[in-house]
Amino acid sequence: VRVKQPPEQISDKVAFTFNNLSLSNLPQKAQELKEILNNDEQLWKWVAQYLVIKRVSLEHNFHSLYAGLLNTLNMVMLFDAVLSETHRNIKILLLSDKQINNIPDRTLLKNLGHWLGMITIGRNKPILSTDLEIKSLIIEAYHTGPQELLYVVPFVSKILESCTKSKIFQQPNPWLMGIMSVLAEMHGLPDFKLNLKFEVEVLCKQLEIQLNELPIHNILINKEYFDKLEKQLSMPVPT
Amino acid sequence: LMEELTLKGITQYYAFVQERQKVHCLNTLFSKLQINQSIIFCNSTQRVELLAKKITDLGYSCYYIHSKMRQDHRNRVFHDFRNGLCRNLVCSDLFTRGIDIQAVNVVINFDFPKLSETYLHRIGRSGRFGHYGIAISLITYEDRFSLHKIEQELGTEIQPIPKQIDPSLYVAEYQMGGD
Repeated sequence: VRVKQPPEQISDKVAFTFNNLSLSNLPQKAQELKEILNNDEQLWKWVAQYLVIKRVSLEHNFHSLYAGLLNTLNMVMLFDAVLSETHRNIKILLLSDKQINNIPDRTLLKNLGHWLGMITIGRNKPILSTDLEIKSLIIEAYHTGPQELLYVVPFVSKILESCTKSKIFQQPNPWLMGIMSVLAEMHGLPDFKLNLKFEVEVLCKQLEIQLNELPIHNILINKEYFDKLEKQLSMPVPT
Repeated sequence: LMEELTLKGITQYYAFVQERQKVHCLNTLFSKLQINQSIIFCNSTQRVELLAKKITDLGYSCYYIHSKMRQDHRNRVFHDFRNGLCRNLVCSDLFTRGIDIQAVNVVINFDFPKLSETYLHRIGRSGRFGHYGIAISLITYEDRFSLHKIEQELGTEIQPIPKQIDPSLYVAEYQMGGD
């Protein structure tokens, strides 16, 4: 669903604006964007795609700046387009072939996770299970293999980082605690990779959650639970 | 002891321009490239201030530092730049150990240096990790011999800038794992 590239003169101006965006000039640059794009909905959709693919995925150092831009522009249409574009790209990465050395893909996924958390949880908005079901994603990854876990665990912890900034999604929010207890169960298993263990421990520390006090429900090792999950990491094989 | 500077991972280009076309050329670069943060070098402190003022008026997000500023003031500006408070930094030659800001993926020689040592200090990177990035030098007619000499002395190649630059040459995450 690639949006059509706008005329060069417009894409040049947009690139210039994003290359020079900073916290101190947000209001001016937001106004500039409005003048460049008028009320052309197609153009705004293109900007949403440009923002997610070219900027957010690659420039994690400017995530809060770009979230600030969305706030300043304050357009529901743009916000929705950015959110669905974010989910679209996350899905592509989750469904892609997961090779162990594909560090760029893993980084893209982490960056998108960090951004997703910021524009949903960070603004006290939920991540809908129709868009992304985090708990089952972890369970699915665990049963699918170690490569999948290398993608999924860092991705999830980047999303959940934003819970520290949310009034609603802090401990003891049940959605958060449900996910954390699966991570805690995984942490306790003997074959869990050390660097992923660290990832979980660091997340707990950030969220001020005691890892050893989390309840373990043994759903991770329950194969039946896994079998019933709607899969998010691979396309259903046509029969 | 100074760590060795390397040009590995840096793709180097030049654009042949006249002095009065330089700002226009800079505008074009800033409309075509995908810049996370950039550093723009000039050959004198006056030119740093003039350029910074000029491009700020044109809507750039930029700070400047040069060797005639007080050290504490310079530190402050550099610190804020590193933290991403602004996107671009105009400066004279005061880096002696290469740029070590990961977010800087584009370095521009607005004025081309005379010495290969200066060129290396501006463009080269220190440290073990391969930083990826592009360096673009604006070359005037007077610079043509320096260009050739510097290429030879450093044993490197500076290519004419193509119409399209492949993002995988300077957008970091295409190659490596970021954090």
